[in-house]
Amino acid sequence: MKTKQPEVSRRSVFGGLAAAAGLTLAPTSMRGTAAQAAYPSRNMRVIIPTGQGGGAEKLARSFDAAWSKLLGQPFEYEFHPAAAGQVGYTLYVQRREKNGHNLLFGNMGPEMIMYATQKPTYKFPQDFTYFCRTDIDDSCVFVRRDSPIKDVKMLVEAAKKRPLNVALSRIPHPATIGMMALGDATGAKFNYIPYGGGNPSFMAMLSGETEVGALPIANTLALNDKFKILGVFNSTNMFAAQTENAPTINATFGTSIPDLSSSRSWAVHTEWAEANPQQFELLQRTAKEAHAAPAFREAWVKSGNPVEALVWGDRKTCHDYAEAMVKLALQYEKQLTARGRG
Amino acid sequence: MDVSNAVLLELFVRSLSLWWVIIPGMVLGTVVGILPGFSAQNTLIILLPLTLHMDIESGMAFMISLYCTTQLGGGIPAILFNMPGEGGAVATTLDGYPMTKKGQAQQALVLCFSASAFGGLVTTIATMAALPALAQLGLYFRSVEMVVVIVFGLTLIAAIAAQDLLKGIIAGFFGLMIGTIGVDPVFGTPRATFGLLELYDGVPLIPALIGLFAISEAFVMLESETIVRSEDLSKARGARWSDTLEGLWLTGRYWWQTVWTSLIGLIIGILPGAGSTVAAFLAYHYSKLLSKTPELYGTGHPPGVIAPESANNGVTSGTLVPVFALGIPGGTTGAIMTIVLTYHGIVLGPRLFIERPEFVYSVYMQMLVCYIFMALMILPLARYMSRVVWVPTRFLVPLILSLVTIAAFSEREYVFDMGLALGFGVIGYIARKTGYEVTAILIGVLMGPLFEQYFLRALRVGQGDPTILFSSTLGNVLWVMVALALILPWLRSRRRQGVLARTVEAGHE
Repeated sequence: MKTKQPEVSRRSVFGGLAAAAGLTLAPTSMRGTAAQAAYPSRNMRVIIPTGQGGGAEKLARSFDAAWSKLLGQPFEYEFHPAAAGQVGYTLYVQRREKNGHNLLFGNMGPEMIMYATQKPTYKFPQDFTYFCRTDIDDSCVFVRRDSPIKDVKMLVEAAKKRPLNVALSRIPHPATIGMMALGDATGAKFNYIPYGGGNPSFMAMLSGETEVGALPIANTLALNDKFKILGVFNSTNMFAAQTENAPTINATFGTSIPDLSSSRSWAVHTEWAEANPQQFELLQRTAKEAHAAPAFREAWVKSGNPVEALVWGDRKTCHDYAEAMVKLALQYEKQLTARGRG
Repeated sequence: MDVSNAVLLELFVRSLSLWWVIIPGMVLGTVVGILPGFSAQNTLIILLPLTLHMDIESGMAFMISLYCTTQLGGGIPAILFNMPGEGGAVATTLDGYPMTKKGQAQQALVLCFSASAFGGLVTTIATMAALPALAQLGLYFRSVEMVVVIVFGLTLIAAIAAQDLLKGIIAGFFGLMIGTIGVDPVFGTPRATFGLLELYDGVPLIPALIGLFAISEAFVMLESETIVRSEDLSKARGARWSDTLEGLWLTGRYWWQTVWTSLIGLIIGILPGAGSTVAAFLAYHYSKLLSKTPELYGTGHPPGVIAPESANNGVTSGTLVPVFALGIPGGTTGAIMTIVLTYHGIVLGPRLFIERPEFVYSVYMQMLVCYIFMALMILPLARYMSRVVWVPTRFLVPLILSLVTIAAFSEREYVFDMGLALGFGVIGYIARKTGYEVTAILIGVLMGPLFEQYFLRALRVGQGDPTILFSSTLGNVLWVMVALALILPWLRSRRRQGVLARTVEAGHE
């Protein structure tokens, strides 16, 4: 389905230039009204603690296609992926004004693992609050379509004979914990290689540098013609139809590995949220409406991603998930940090 | 993927009709390229809301024209003031600025523009002819091969510091040490950051570039009345259209150089994570290695301008190859374009070539049209821009210093970066005064993190076994090329010394 976008044509560009010239010449008093309007009164500025062009940016931009209309303000993004997202979070907490116009769009799974293992200077939930989960992106293990490994049991058997190289986005990531837990439970040996993002990990898989990949499922599904998903780290596989009924790891091996998903969420400064309950309520309500809006879903599907992954969650859901991730990360702290030489 | 000549012609005409987005894109790209600190990537991110709301054809034409001309723009300050506007133009300073000092700014600018336009045209056509095959190339360069490519880049330190190898190596190591600042690429553990958040990402390229080149050069400039040497000033002022045309003639003379160095750029552009800076350095390095007159490099030798400029424009054609062919961007610019393409529902990857081959060609045709427009602006741009070097340095330096300080701030919006640029400016000034190559320092800063990233990754892939570095055929071929790059200049020098000795001996007899 194609949504009608206000397209920019030659006529509109020249018209726009003329209008801009007119506005520049207009008395400044005419431009004061917007600044006096109720919250939000200006652009929403968003920090994304991952790189440009990744899943988070695609999701955020799809979401703001609906949310910006509800809030009446456009969104601006900046990207700070360094130190597994630590820079983005620290900047947000320490250097962005706590005024409700500065938001953070984070991936709670890997970034809470980073929070637990790297011990940054900011505190959760005292400094920031996740309030709108946008999706659940289960971790999965996959191989190339032409790989001799056809299922997850074969994978474990092969990894018992010799360590298999696994392409990962980052070491502190739910998918990495999944592979570590799988290795612990079955005696399989995996060699973890972080590529700093989904795209370089996919390239490593395609070039044959690594034999196995462990990443969130949504982007992997978008490359379904190249990769075969062998198993999912969750209690159910919500993408059974698209993954040729790939089983869950727990069902296959009788393990009890916790559900390991990435889950993106919008966050805001806790201090602002508590000091401005009405405005925070507006933010939460409009975010929920945006999540249900067709504009968001259509934009997400157009970028080649599955609509089933879009599962909304409120502030409490996000909080519980984040706390659970911290606990899980602490269990694997040694392997996830340089101290354990994971 | 069959597209008939009639379709190609139609696509060409359609691309021409997009002049109304291509020309503003080119103007903006030139300005962004000239100003250090304003990169194509950042500008494309800022303009993303606009390009997302354009129709896909116009949006891509605008982004591509902006991106391609940024590379050209970056060469302008590199040649006129020894201040590269983009990372890809650092290597251009090595011969471009000496040409300016000799009163040949016009010729150098024409060389830069024509090599950019011609190199871009060559690689665009090459990409259109062999797109699916080129896409496979990226898959042959894995971590091991990338280690060798980066090592090859690092050997340039030895090449540019040939006059004083020890100082060159010290400068290079100093740069490499600075390059290790920041979080480690495996576990994300901070190193040598002193708790400063601004250094977690490593030492940022733009403030380092601005400090080492622009600020230190501004200090040096103050020591003379004008940029051009006083004995060459009248020659520079008397420059005519014939001098501008001489630049074109030189490009024609070195046409083959433009072709093969632009193809180096194309290949590097396809590889993930390398980019225009690496491409320009490699092209310069190869150009010097294979030249019959390597001793002229660094003194204002035309091929020293042609090689990096054609290579950095070759990169632009390569950037989109993995995006279209695999649906996986290799770098930031490719990632931004992927966002726009997927937003408009374009399904990337092999299916695109089957379902919408004309779309792929239309994008490259827009690039082709952009380079044709670029060729048209070579002569007037070079003629009038070169006059800025007549301006006395007492006026130029304050202007440059204020502009570059803002530029240092603009990329990340940290006041810290302005101080960092000043710090690098002082280091650069001391280095220049004591005969240490600032380019060698920058190569270390730039290539160090890339080397560490690929080296550690290769070792992890080899599960700790260092012989992995010699485990691939392509990698081993590249190692041989690295060895040749180190040995060849030495052999040549010995041969020349031998010839010289024999000549002197014969003279005595």
